[in-house]
Amino acid sequence: MFERLRRRRLEGELSDGELHRAALAGSGEAMAALYQRHGGLVYRFSLQMSRDAAVAEEITQEVFLALLTRIDRFDAGRGALSTWLCGIARRQFWKRLEQNESAGAFDEESAAELECPTDGPAEILLRHEAVAAVRAGMDELPAPLREVVILCALEEMSYEQAAQVLAVPVGTVRSRLHRAKARLAGLLRGEMADIERKRR
Amino acid sequence: MTTDRELEEILAEIGREHRAMGAPQRLEAALRAAADSRKDAIGARKPRLTWAWATAAILLAMIAASGVIWQTRKGESPQHQQARSVPAPEATGDPRPSARTTTRDDAAAVSARARKAGADRARLQEASTKQATANSLDEFVPLPASEGLPPAAELSVVRIKLRGSDLQQYGLDAPPDAVARTMLAEFAVGEDGLPRAIRIVR
Repeated sequence: MFERLRRRRLEGELSDGELHRAALAGSGEAMAALYQRHGGLVYRFSLQMSRDAAVAEEITQEVFLALLTRIDRFDAGRGALSTWLCGIARRQFWKRLEQNESAGAFDEESAAELECPTDGPAEILLRHEAVAAVRAGMDELPAPLREVVILCALEEMSYEQAAQVLAVPVGTVRSRLHRAKARLAGLLRGEMADIERKRR
Repeated sequence: MTTDRELEEILAEIGREHRAMGAPQRLEAALRAAADSRKDAIGARKPRLTWAWATAAILLAMIAASGVIWQTRKGESPQHQQARSVPAPEATGDPRPSARTTTRDDAAAVSARARKAGADRARLQEASTKQATANSLDEFVPLPASEGLPPAAELSVVRIKLRGSDLQQYGLDAPPDAVARTMLAEFAVGEDGLPRAIRIVR
């Protein structure tokens, strides 16, 4: 019971900076509290980016271990721990991607010129099909666009927070999100048209 | 436009599902263990730090103790300390080079003693000679040569190395065995540069 109370106190009352200091001093409880607080975000982001649960777990673990080893990097005065952790996760993901395959050079200009494959309304598209189509469309997005969608649309981060995670200007976040949504909308329209055609 | 709005709604729905996903619990144990291992590492470093602190504390205590002892000795015999701190000029009979200035209380005491000593000067002469031969470090003895001089407002203590025979020029008689011997003496010198009293250091 006392353990639960203590844990609740760690999870609820202490700031990220205080928990981080306690974890550095060797408090497993503080580390667990930090993981409970931010582990979900890091894991979800890693999973969405890698589309592999095992890789996402590895990245998540590395990110939190970095909290103990890269003590000089995190500065509570400069930004939120969540964005710092997400930034580490992102770098871990990109490092793996570069090791495993060629990520493909991402050209901001060419991405801007992506066109919607089809036009037309989709009144009869079923909801779950639309959701599945968007999910599939997200998986097909280039990683730089996908990470913006994950942070801003799924995690509901502000542009500023996303910019901090991605280490890019806020304007870049805005433009990438706009392009990603345009592409998803295009995919969605194409999918809806396809379904309508089948129904006929 | 419908598709755009629909896309926003779909993204919101995916987002809700997405955020409901938690971190795998099995990682928590590993991370907790990693943090705990730091505690062990810190604990292993602690004895070394403790020893360092203990050594520093002992050194500080020794320094403080020596300071207290020094202060205590200083408080016990300020006159002697003054005498010791004065650099001793090489055997010159002239006590003029003034090195230290005593307080007004000391000056008054010595002057009063000098006046009082006028009555039984012979006894004091004898006593001073005894002191010279006994290598003592005792009170100042008024010099016969200072008789008739005005009382000094300020006195300086001057340490001088001299021969026993030199005592004669100050009106003191040295015992025969001390005539040729070199001794260290302190003179109480007035602000006019004239010696008022003497004591033999060794």
